[in-house]
Amino acid sequence: MPIGGFVVNLHPDKIPEGLARLEMMEGLEIHGSDEKGNVVVVLESQTSEQMEEMVKDIMAVEQVLSVGLTYFNAEDEVEKIKAGTYVPERSFGRKPLH
Amino acid sequence: MGLSRREFLKRTAALTAASYVGMNLPVSLEGEAQAADADSWHPGTCRLCGSGCRLELGVKNGQAVALRGISKSRTNFGYLCMKGMLFYKLMGQNHPERLKKPLYRAKKDQPFKEISWDEALDIAAKEFAKAVKAHGNNSVAYYGSGQALTEETYIFQKIMRGGLQTNNVEGNPRLCMASAVGGYLTSFGADEPIGSYDNFERASCFFIIGSNTAEAHPVLFRRIMRRKMDNRDRVKVINADPRISPTSRISDLDLVFEPGTDLAMLNAMAYVIIEEKLYDEDFLKNYSVFRKGKDKKQVSFEEYKKFLSAYTPEKAAQICGGNITAEKIRTAARWFATSEGTMSIWTMGINQRSRGVWANNLIHNLHILTGQLCRPGADSFSLTGQPNACGGVREGGGLCHILPAHRLVKKDKLRHQVEKLWGIPQGRIPPKPGYHTMAMFEAVNQGKIKAIWINCTSPAQSLPNCDKYIKGMARDDVFMVVTDIFPTRTTELANLIMPTAFIFEKTGVYGCTERRSQLTRKAVDAPGDARPEVWIVREWALRLSKELNDPVIKKCVEPFMGKEPDYELPKAIWDEYTQKLTKDRDNDLRGATYEVLEQLPDGVQWPAPTKEFALKGGTDIKFVRGIDPLADKHAKNEMPYQFYGPAHPDKKLWIWLRPQKGPQEMPDAHYPFYLSTGRVIDHWHTSSMTGRIPELMRANPYAFVEINPKDAEKMGIKPGDMVEVTSRRGRNILPAKVYVGPCEGMVFVYWHDMYSDRMINRVTNDVWDPGSKEPEFKICACRIKKVSGPKPLKPFIVQMKS
Repeated sequence: MPIGGFVVNLHPDKIPEGLARLEMMEGLEIHGSDEKGNVVVVLESQTSEQMEEMVKDIMAVEQVLSVGLTYFNAEDEVEKIKAGTYVPERSFGRKPLH
Repeated sequence: MGLSRREFLKRTAALTAASYVGMNLPVSLEGEAQAADADSWHPGTCRLCGSGCRLELGVKNGQAVALRGISKSRTNFGYLCMKGMLFYKLMGQNHPERLKKPLYRAKKDQPFKEISWDEALDIAAKEFAKAVKAHGNNSVAYYGSGQALTEETYIFQKIMRGGLQTNNVEGNPRLCMASAVGGYLTSFGADEPIGSYDNFERASCFFIIGSNTAEAHPVLFRRIMRRKMDNRDRVKVINADPRISPTSRISDLDLVFEPGTDLAMLNAMAYVIIEEKLYDEDFLKNYSVFRKGKDKKQVSFEEYKKFLSAYTPEKAAQICGGNITAEKIRTAARWFATSEGTMSIWTMGINQRSRGVWANNLIHNLHILTGQLCRPGADSFSLTGQPNACGGVREGGGLCHILPAHRLVKKDKLRHQVEKLWGIPQGRIPPKPGYHTMAMFEAVNQGKIKAIWINCTSPAQSLPNCDKYIKGMARDDVFMVVTDIFPTRTTELANLIMPTAFIFEKTGVYGCTERRSQLTRKAVDAPGDARPEVWIVREWALRLSKELNDPVIKKCVEPFMGKEPDYELPKAIWDEYTQKLTKDRDNDLRGATYEVLEQLPDGVQWPAPTKEFALKGGTDIKFVRGIDPLADKHAKNEMPYQFYGPAHPDKKLWIWLRPQKGPQEMPDAHYPFYLSTGRVIDHWHTSSMTGRIPELMRANPYAFVEINPKDAEKMGIKPGDMVEVTSRRGRNILPAKVYVGPCEGMVFVYWHDMYSDRMINRVTNDVWDPGSKEPEFKICACRIKKVSGPKPLKPFIVQMKS
């Protein structure tokens, strides 16, 4: 269950529209924004897969110019790896070449 | 009131982000009795590109659990990208596929079996010694990496040259940076950029060419974006590229030229600058000369003008095709010349060309003509792809023709200096450069190289026309050692695999794009029996010395004996390299000791001859008196700029007459499309690291072929259709992405996929630039054909057979 702190940059001409789009996203909390288009965002998800999808979704928002990660914590996942209850997904095709 | 653990972490995340943009949030963590979010935080450098982003790794119970940016770092000001966010999963015990034991097989069709380190090192020493005895010193080779630490590259090349007496020392930066090196040396007389990243905040015009900065260097792109958005009327962004990419989101002018026509376009910009008298007459007079041809003949300004008459904007627009017009070229030239500070930025689109050095020269020409150098915001700045291509390989002696600290192998005086500094007999290092990368793997194909050590890179996937070279690496009479952290397409061809420590599992220095050296100390244990390379090389060298009965090999590692491998050993190697080898060289790093590097959030920019100077950060602009201590030291007159670079005896900048030259393979009736290749944001290089992070694989699980909608319509190709991409060398079958990215007549394929039908380097061309020996990955001719409708595909990553 990773938690990430981000600065999302909106196009300065399109801040209200951009914020409106971000606010609709689940698992995304807006902690503040300024007139330059900086938006402080915290993402929280059940799995890192979800987090990844969320970042992708943010980047696809038309008003977004960049997404900068500043803090990331995955202690839950590491605990699970250690306990053996979670194995980072092994890659898919196992077919050796030779 | 106590917060829940998750609430505590969320607040920590929010406050960290807010602090970066100076925002006050109505929450705080004051008085919270919570345990901290990590037991300890360890500063270091992200290793997943060449930007040199500084971050802290949070360790809890001995394992990497968190990351945060270092906001005081002048490379990234604390920002990271998605690659950085997820690489904790590669570390320590966190990934099940890490290589953990030495593995060996005598023949390449046998399965690997686990062996001890003693056995592994004995085998490596015996096989290299056997090759040397039977086939001579040049039958062995080292092929390294811009991802290896400087200490690693340095000690490997020391053993190869001083110990095994061969200059067969190469590395994958040959595939990405060699043309930039050639460009800097021939235009400015010295390798590596003059300025720094801080020009991002000072430039008024950005000329981005052959670089999808938004996806390949997202954290640096953020700085450019911020500069543009905060000064929208004053700052112009020009994006010159055959492919529209997310970088165009902030551009004022897009120059979409046909692949391989960049030299004409750059010459046309120079034409406009001269025609409209936008050049800096004083700068030209004081600091530059014009030259042409192999013999570097000096020519007059008039001759240069005459040469440019073939490149009027009208003529160039015809050559460049795409959407280029004469007016666009004129606008670009005017913005470039007249801005308060123009910064050019480029990467592989310029370097990976059969005339990559010339393309670099022509960008530098524009800066010399307009005096857009050495002052705030003005710079001709090549971005690096790997974290230590500059530091380790270019500076540390990691290519076949250079010794540590920018010394040419072929210069007797410089070679003998190195022998003396190493305390080995004069004449020990052979005077002839070794095989460059493509020649090295051709020699492997021909069985001339009998033992090769490949460290931290995967040539079986990353060489152009790779099928041809895989055959050589698969030969049973070529003994191959691979040191890496994961199985790759190259470990599949090895006899001996040695598991190594990853970043933060060992100690050492990376030198990023802007001449900046940064230290990362060990923070977590490597998994299983994985070891740092510096230990592996030292122990191997001792055995080699015995096998060959040659005490000089032992002498090469004598200063490093008895040092523990996690800190003392790399420190001793760094000390020898910086204190002895860089002394009085242009990359003087004597001030950048571990002690100094540990005190700084972001490291030191060379030249930095003293500790005092290094503690202030070093040199942010080379060649400027009062800023660069070597400019003062080497000053020949009172002029403010002193171009003391070792490659130009006249101490001038050279403007080159370089004609338009297309790619070596042009589209024709049989292969009518241009094929270009590149990177997407989630994946890096051959994806042996990023491909193992499930999130990244999910975002772009396999490579696509991007096709312009107009071409797709003509060819009857719909999104998702399976398309065969064929060149004279090989073919891939990939799903189509129909997309206004590539211009008409061009297709674009991502190069990270390991699946054999989607490894695009089976299709690319292995011709190379005659100057830099860098291959032309970016352009070849291909044909495309729909083979079926969409098919479900599975992502593929190499697994270890055991």
